[in-house]
Amino acid sequence: VIPRLHLISDRRICSLERLPDVALAAVRGGVDAIHVRERGLPAGELLRVVREVRRSIGDEVALLVNDRLDVALLGGANGVQLPESGLPARDVRGRFGSDVVIGRSVHDVAGAVRAERDGADFVVAGHVYVTGSKTGQPGRGVPFIRDVSASVGIPVIAIGGITPARVREVMAAGASGVAVISGILSSGQPEQAARDYRLALNEFSK
Amino acid sequence: MVDRRSTIASHLRDALRVYVLTDRSVSRSRAETDVVREAIAGGATAIQLRWKDGPLWEAVEIGRRLRDICDGENVLFVVNDRVDLALALDADGVHVGEDDLPVREVRKLVGSRMIVGYSPPTLVEAVQAERAGADYLGVGPVFGTSTKADAGRAVGTDRIRDVAASVRIPVVGIGGIGSENAGAVIAAGAAGVAVISAVVAQDDIAAASRTLRQAVDAALDEASGTT
Repeated sequence: VIPRLHLISDRRICSLERLPDVALAAVRGGVDAIHVRERGLPAGELLRVVREVRRSIGDEVALLVNDRLDVALLGGANGVQLPESGLPARDVRGRFGSDVVIGRSVHDVAGAVRAERDGADFVVAGHVYVTGSKTGQPGRGVPFIRDVSASVGIPVIAIGGITPARVREVMAAGASGVAVISGILSSGQPEQAARDYRLALNEFSK
Repeated sequence: MVDRRSTIASHLRDALRVYVLTDRSVSRSRAETDVVREAIAGGATAIQLRWKDGPLWEAVEIGRRLRDICDGENVLFVVNDRVDLALALDADGVHVGEDDLPVREVRKLVGSRMIVGYSPPTLVEAVQAERAGADYLGVGPVFGTSTKADAGRAVGTDRIRDVAASVRIPVVGIGGIGSENAGAVIAAGAAGVAVISAVVAQDDIAAASRTLRQAVDAALDEASGTT
C-alpha cells in the first residue's frame, strides 16, 4: 500500500533537533510517510537523524531517505526517494531487490514513464503550485498532474504548494496522494495541520 | 556472496602502491575513462572514483566503464563516500572519511563483498577504524595541498610513521605527494601514495603516473632491503 500523505523534512524550516517530535506529531495527525530530505548534510549525521526519526515514529509508518540509499538501508528506513539527479531506479531495483521502496521525483511526463519502467513504486510529481520551498519557479499546474497520472500506472503523489483546500483538485486530477513540506512544518501545529490534509484526502477514499 | 575482501587482502599492499583519485575539477574536463586508462598505463595500481558534483546516474555510467577498465588491468577500483554507488557498481572497495558513514556501519552494508578504506583525522581514530573493520587507511594531508580545500593542516611524514606503527592494516599517504617526496612517505612506513593533482592534473598523465610509480617502487625496494 502506497502512503497517501507524505511529509518531507527540511532543516531550514524545522531543525534536526525538533524533527523527530514534529514527525511524530504529523503521524498522529494522519501522515503515513516521512521523507528525510536534508541535502548537504554529511552522511554520518544524516544516519543519526534517520534513526532518531525512526525511533520516534515507530515501525508502522513508512520512512524514506532522499537520495542516499546506503543511509536508508542502515537507518531502518523502508526505502529511498530518488531525485532526478540520483541513482537510476533500475540499478537500485536490480541490486537491492523488491524489499526496498523506491519513490522517484519527476518533473515531466517522460521522467514519470521512465520511473515506472525502471521499477519505481511511485512518483512524486511537481511542483504543482508556486511554493515557498522552490522560490522563483512557476508551478506546473493541475494539468501536469492529470498528464502524469494518465501516463503511468503507479501512484502519483503531488507536491508543491498544496494546501488542504487544494487537495480536492489534485486528487480529482488523478493523484493518489500529496506530499507536504511547509504546509505542515511551518504551521506551528503539525498534528492539526496533518489532520487537515488527512480529512481532505479522506473525501477521496472509498 | 563474493568474498572479494579476502581475495584483495592477500595483495592489498601491492594494490595500494600508486592510488589515483579522479577529480573532474582537477583533470581539466578530460574524460574520466581517458584519465584512468592513462594513469593505469603509467603504473597506477588503484583508482578511486570521487564524485563531488554532477548527477549520480552519470556516476553510475562512468563508474561502470572505470570498473571494466580496472578489471581488465587488475587494478583496484574504489568508490568515494557513497556506499550505495559502490554497491551498484560492484566496486572492489569504498572509501569513507570522518563525516561520511562510520566504518562499522559501512561494513554492515558491504559485508565481505568489498574492502573499506578510511581517512582517520587522528591517531586514535586510526586505531579505532582498524578495530571497526577498515582494510586500509588514507593518512594526510602529508604535505600542503590545494586540491582538497577542506583537508586541513599538513600532518607530515611523522603521522604516517605513528599510524603505520599502530595498526596492522596498510597505510597510504595522501596530500601534496608527488614523485619528489613519495620516497619519504614510503620510508615512513606507507604501503603507497594516493594522489590527485600529481597525476590527473598533468599534461602527460601516463608519464606522471610512471614517474611516481618508479619513485614508490624504488623506495619500497630500499625499505625492504634495509629492514
